[in-house]
Amino acid sequence: MTDDACKRYLEDPEANAAHLQTCAECRAMSAALATKTDGELPEIAVDKLPLAPWEGASHRPWPLVLGATAIVVAIALALAGAAGMSPRHLAESSLASMDAIRGLLRNAAESVRAASLGWQVVFGVAFVVFNGLLVILLRRAPRGIDA
Amino acid sequence: MRRILRLLFPLTVVAASLVTAMVAAPPSFGVRGSMTVADAAAMMQKTAVVASLLAIWMFAAVALTLLSGREIRYSSIEMRASALHCFALGLVAVTSFALTAIVLSYLIPYHVGVPLLFVLGVIAILTKIYGTVAVFHAVGTLVAGSRTREQLARRRWLRGDLAMVVVGVIVLGALRLIPIVGPIIWAVASVFGIGTALATKFGRREPWFLAWRALQS
Repeated sequence: MTDDACKRYLEDPEANAAHLQTCAECRAMSAALATKTDGELPEIAVDKLPLAPWEGASHRPWPLVLGATAIVVAIALALAGAAGMSPRHLAESSLASMDAIRGLLRNAAESVRAASLGWQVVFGVAFVVFNGLLVILLRRAPRGIDA
Repeated sequence: MRRILRLLFPLTVVAASLVTAMVAAPPSFGVRGSMTVADAAAMMQKTAVVASLLAIWMFAAVALTLLSGREIRYSSIEMRASALHCFALGLVAVTSFALTAIVLSYLIPYHVGVPLLFVLGVIAILTKIYGTVAVFHAVGTLVAGSRTREQLARRRWLRGDLAMVVVGVIVLGALRLIPIVGPIIWAVASVFGIGTALATKFGRREPWFLAWRALQS
């Protein structure tokens, strides 16, 4: 056993396979490597992995959905009945918030139109800045799944 | 943490019911001495309108989840992964919608403004509906989502996108019924939703803009 022979074996183990018969150190090293590489891979415990968001996602618990919907509808009808509101009155009241937003926008538009030139310029700058900011924020790629 | 989350739902419902009852109670209860019968009736009507809107939200959420559950789930994941970005994007988007509506109202006399405003309104409403359903999913998953595989296997009802959305509607709906605080929570949830819908391009996770690359010779 010489250092040169060991070096030659390490450089090309297949061509110098006979060296293992004469060198105990290299034989031990080779056996250890074989154990590491040829041995069975450690078992992956699937149950220990974190739960993926899609697991069980397609399950449809209809009793829960129908029950919850029925309860919410029953509460809404009971409250409407107690308040003496007809379905039409309910619908009109529900749309009132949309009317409020529309009125707010109309008032804001009239105020901007009636404002001085300076304020109109400020409004124009704000319009450009906010839309530019929106474009910049939209350019960022979503990271949810990779997070 | 898990126990706290499990307690959150019933506590929220109880708190919402108590506060609503206290505010809407007749004056003889002494909680609000200045409240008249007319005030109580108005409060009752307001609560009825909110509850009926919640019922409509429930139908919309279930329908949208059945149609595109995967997209809703992707948006929900995004909201939980980068909440600050979604909130900032939502705030900017709401402001941008409002400013754009005001600018388009300038064009109403030229007949171009009306269809443009209509299109903007439709986009805003669709974004709000989709985003709010994504918020329902996120809230439902935070409150009642399975943490482990064993837990998921044990559950019969509280699993899947549909269940998470329904739980989210109930939790946020209960919070919405709390006077003063409820509308604020709902508005914040809407901002989150609009931001999430836009950040994920309605759950499709595609870029909004094509990247420009200069030709290399």
